[in-house]
Amino acid sequence: MFETARNEGRRRLRGAAILTAGVGAYVGFIVWYFTVLEGVDYEDVFEDLPPAMLDAFGIENLSTIEGFLGAQVFNFVWLLGLGLYFAYVAGGVIARDVETERMDLLLSFPVTRSRLLVEKFAALLVPMIAVNAGGGLLVYLFVIAVGERIAVDHLLLAHLLSVPFLLVCAGIGLVFSVAVDRAAIAERAAVGTVFVLYLVESVVGGAEGYDWIQYLSPTQYYEPTPVLIDGSFEPIDSIILLVAFAGLLIASQALFQRRDI
Amino acid sequence: MSGEADRPLVVEGLTKEFGNVVANDAVSFAVNEGEVFGFLGPNGAGKSTTIRLLLGLLKPTSGTATVLGADVRDEAALTEAKRRIGYLPAHLGFAEEATGEAVLEYHGAVKGDSRRAELLELFTPPVDRPIREYSTGNKRMLGLVQAFMHDPDLVIMDEPTSGLDPLKQEAFNEFVRDERDRGTTVFFSSHVLSEVRRVCDRVGILRGGSVVELENVEALLHRGGKHVRVHASDAAIATITDLDGVVDPDRFAEGVQFIYAGGVNALLRELAAHDVRDVEVGEPPIEDVFAHYYGGEGTPDGSSPTEEAWDGSGGATGESDGAEATSENDGTGATNV
Repeated sequence: MFETARNEGRRRLRGAAILTAGVGAYVGFIVWYFTVLEGVDYEDVFEDLPPAMLDAFGIENLSTIEGFLGAQVFNFVWLLGLGLYFAYVAGGVIARDVETERMDLLLSFPVTRSRLLVEKFAALLVPMIAVNAGGGLLVYLFVIAVGERIAVDHLLLAHLLSVPFLLVCAGIGLVFSVAVDRAAIAERAAVGTVFVLYLVESVVGGAEGYDWIQYLSPTQYYEPTPVLIDGSFEPIDSIILLVAFAGLLIASQALFQRRDI
Repeated sequence: MSGEADRPLVVEGLTKEFGNVVANDAVSFAVNEGEVFGFLGPNGAGKSTTIRLLLGLLKPTSGTATVLGADVRDEAALTEAKRRIGYLPAHLGFAEEATGEAVLEYHGAVKGDSRRAELLELFTPPVDRPIREYSTGNKRMLGLVQAFMHDPDLVIMDEPTSGLDPLKQEAFNEFVRDERDRGTTVFFSSHVLSEVRRVCDRVGILRGGSVVELENVEALLHRGGKHVRVHASDAAIATITDLDGVVDPDRFAEGVQFIYAGGVNALLRELAAHDVRDVEVGEPPIEDVFAHYYGGEGTPDGSSPTEEAWDGSGGATGESDGAEATSENDGTGATNV
């Protein structure tokens, strides 16, 4: 049981460690930078920016550590960086094995295709959990180290709520991974799709008549900055993300089931 | 008893089309329990397609096959049957960064590895090294270990000996014969006639997407023929090519090459009578053999092939000699004399 998930998960340990270390280093830099900026009235710096841009970058309350982290770390790294990362990695999950013909061996096992797909995808939870647990801990430690305070429950919540969002991004990658034979194409298509959705959501947010388009983007349903500042979030957003993820997983299953290897 | 249902592998009208290309055209044959069945055909004949259909990697366009009683279109049944199937693909896509040990660990955890240690004594891939450092032969050996380590009842192999050195190939042949004696059914594809000759009980010949002929290896053996390449003077070449059993002589700058269907002794006597600079005697390309026996253009008429295809009297007289010479040379490619 779950031999494939275990094996694939083990293969992802190294990548997960590097990812977590990289994110940790960035977090460290941002927290240090916050201390440098202290005393600067940078609310003024941003007040000339168009509201759409402030919204896109999740900029609010930059003078507090929560607001600063929300904009500089969570909006950039979790929402955009990790969203793209998981779309990219998931793009390779099936397509790479098909391309290298490793799939021939895996499908000679007494394991159904749907099970193989789920187990291989489940291995992505290793980096997803590592970067949230490790990254979250580092955020907390760095903040404490510079003499600031951050609400632990809000921080936990911001990380927890990122998981459905990252699952949807990975789910988009998975659909491309089963639909395409070449890993590079699946990966690029997945990254491109998530990035375009992010841009679209940022741009059409203020456009009357077309603002419904923003609801197509997963980035619409994860807003880390308010969670960090006062713990506020909409449970329906997470539910929408989880339903979307289930849909993407079912679509991948159907495609994978039907295709020739 | 019908027999059909009990046979480990039954293929019935199996057809696979990729767009307009018909890779397998109503392929039908059956493999008996405990036999070694060679699936022979030139490159591009559709051997791998058949094998991938048998493992459920591809979905048949029409027709079907049963593997250990499981219909290949029924995923649940086929998945269950795979517990008792070993598979060696033509190209081994192991995870590059994993060690051989880790690969076998994983394969063993999924399907069992009761014979792993025993097999690693016979085939010796460097299991503590990562796959990316493996040679083709080492990958092939690791592939063989994983294909047999769960003690399957049926083993399906796609070009199993490509990349193995001659010694390992011999070990492989012996191993396959032993496996058959233990009751394992072995089905493998090859485009190398000599390989099939030495280990198979029966042979199916695939050409242009359909099985042209099913026959005993004995029968195939009688249709030998050698590929001969001689470097000699023009005068010598003229008399050598006059020899009975020489087919399709083809001159090149320093000599001539031809297919020889006569007795080997007669050829050697003739060669000895001339000043020969170099000579190679080897197996003819399988495409040539097929072209001669089963007609050109890959459109077999289905009738039993005849010796007339060789278009010479040498074929009949040379038959037995040719066969002996084959087993002496053991056809591991060309033999330099």
